[in-house]
Amino acid sequence: MQAIEAVKVSKSFGSVRVLDDVNLSVGQGEFFGLFGPNGAGKTTLLRVLTGQLAPDSGSATTAGVPLTDPIRLKQRVGIVPEAETPPTFLTAQETLELTCRLRGLDDIGERVERWMAFFDLGEKRDVLCRDLSKGQRQKVMLAAAFIHEPELLLLDEPFINLDPIYQRRLREYLASVVSGGRTVFMCSHLLEIAERLCDSVAVINRGRIVEQGRLDEMGGRLEDIFLRAVEAG
Amino acid sequence: MMKEEWRLHQSLMGPMGSSLFPAIIFVFTAFLAVAAPRVLSHIPTATILLMLHAASALYGLFVGNFGSIGEHVMTRRLGQVSMIMQMPQTYPVSFRRMMAVFYAKDSVFYLLYSYVPLTLGLAVAAPGAGVSLGGVAMLGLTTFLSFMVGMGLSFALSAVSVRSRPLWLLLNAGVAASAALVYPLGLLSPEQLIPPLAYWASRDAWTLVASSVASLALASAGVALMKERYEARESRGGFSFLDSEGLFGFTGGLRTLVAKEWAEVRRAGALAPVVMSFAGHLLAIYGMSWIFEAGVGVSLGFNVVFYSGFVGFMGVMTYAFLTNLEHNEYLNVQPVSVDMVVKAKLVLYFAVTGGVSLAYVVGIGLLKGQLSLVPLGLLLAAATSVYVVGVTSYLTGLWTNTMFFDARVILKFCAAVVPPMIVAEIAALLTPVWPTQATQVVVTVSLLLLLASAPLLRRMERRWAAASFSFVNVGG
Repeated sequence: MQAIEAVKVSKSFGSVRVLDDVNLSVGQGEFFGLFGPNGAGKTTLLRVLTGQLAPDSGSATTAGVPLTDPIRLKQRVGIVPEAETPPTFLTAQETLELTCRLRGLDDIGERVERWMAFFDLGEKRDVLCRDLSKGQRQKVMLAAAFIHEPELLLLDEPFINLDPIYQRRLREYLASVVSGGRTVFMCSHLLEIAERLCDSVAVINRGRIVEQGRLDEMGGRLEDIFLRAVEAG
Repeated sequence: MMKEEWRLHQSLMGPMGSSLFPAIIFVFTAFLAVAAPRVLSHIPTATILLMLHAASALYGLFVGNFGSIGEHVMTRRLGQVSMIMQMPQTYPVSFRRMMAVFYAKDSVFYLLYSYVPLTLGLAVAAPGAGVSLGGVAMLGLTTFLSFMVGMGLSFALSAVSVRSRPLWLLLNAGVAASAALVYPLGLLSPEQLIPPLAYWASRDAWTLVASSVASLALASAGVALMKERYEARESRGGFSFLDSEGLFGFTGGLRTLVAKEWAEVRRAGALAPVVMSFAGHLLAIYGMSWIFEAGVGVSLGFNVVFYSGFVGFMGVMTYAFLTNLEHNEYLNVQPVSVDMVVKAKLVLYFAVTGGVSLAYVVGIGLLKGQLSLVPLGLLLAAATSVYVVGVTSYLTGLWTNTMFFDARVILKFCAAVVPPMIVAEIAALLTPVWPTQATQVVVTVSLLLLLASAPLLRRMERRWAAASFSFVNVGG
């Protein structure tokens, strides 16, 4: 079974067709990167694949769950959205506790402490999220996506707002996730980081997948693949 | 900003829904204005004018609470929605200037969306009532000025609250005291509190100028009191939201979300305002009926059951307030659906309003010496609360304030709420005349409303289960 399987997925906002018959396949245990220029449809595709938006047509399964069952789908995966918007009036620690409760997890204290420590959020544990810096909010969002150790992670620009120390820590963690047999689906503009991590990639332009395959079989650097695909598309 | 406001409305309710709202106001006003000469013939013109202007001033008071918008923008309580209001963060534009433009935009918005259609509606009935079109236009102007005075006062007070909470409390007490000088002390006339009303007594154009100046002065004070910067701070939680879960254990699987809502209300400093606002709205109903009775000089015979019927109706604004505290975008990536959060908000709504509703009904029962009617009043209050807020949550989900500008939503709301309310209220008024029959009608309507609430809740679940928590969905 594939981790993600999308068939002819389309989505429009008003008269703008943001996704146009997207076909996509992501294997289990892969580190998959989705790239594309601004406004190409990356975030919309990720939101559709995570059940945040319903497609206008087409079908898909994510972690074996059809898009028609978004609650079960979200239960199975970890999602980092494009914008870091943790709950305004909860603290960093409470946001993680809330996440554990909503996901029905055991060992909440242990899990929360582990991820607070991973992102060095201990000093900020009692600070309301509205008063955290952008980087700290992003750490809270990442920790919340990882805390239930899901089989599939879907990440939209996960490295954004992180300093080089945490970018490296996150990179190493994501590599370990994939080496452990789990799957990562990532949208990013940071091609150098992505090149080091991804096994397979796809390039989306104007709502259509214009290039897809294993990185080591596509030839050339990711930046070249990206530019070639976008210019040809 | 006008274009932004228009597009924001369109994004939620479509061009048809947005455009129909003023049309609905026009039709309702025209209908009421045509009926008024027959229905209100025994009421002095001065009383009708007082009610119209007092209602407009109260409307302005309710919508003018813009003072904390700067903090909302800075703390991103609007979620991912970017608005022109956020420009001062990165552009060489002062926040005060932006706020002045925002205030002007909202004034024009309310003028076009509410007062122009209202005046045109009145104009339809003017020839039949022997009122000149000039008089109708003047009435539109003075009621709008009353609205502006109310909105200016509310804006100025909310701006003070950003600077000093104690001063805000003091000034609120001052406003309440001024109202008390009109009633029950009778030391001020209503015209002194609502300046545009004075025009109808004196026909002096200077009263209009003075009213305009007063409204501008209040708005300017609000703008001047705006902060340019919101310094970084580190607010602490103070208590664990998980500890609150125990309080709401009776809600089963919802207890975590209810505890989250409870923590948000407390930490946003909204608990006291939400309770006071609900109580204030209920007391305003009592106050308006007093103005009516004082103006006409006869008792309307409003009893405790009659007042109880308004408990649910007034709860709409409280529910709207609760939906406005947090954007909830975080929940888009959690295994939670919008209907679950709506239910959590409903639990919180009943938790914060239950005591006030009880005190209101019992208090009026005591004041009017109608304790025997209190149980009936409590039944009606409970039924209308459950039903009306149920209808509101079904129709508007987590976006009540905005969705109520959709004419289709307003029409559905009125169709669902007004008929049973009218039947219950008429029966309540007839309690002294036909006690048995009237009581039977109130009990029957209450039970029907409670019975209708269960399927309503199920429909609410179905309607909002697949919705996004994002205020506006954009592609990219």
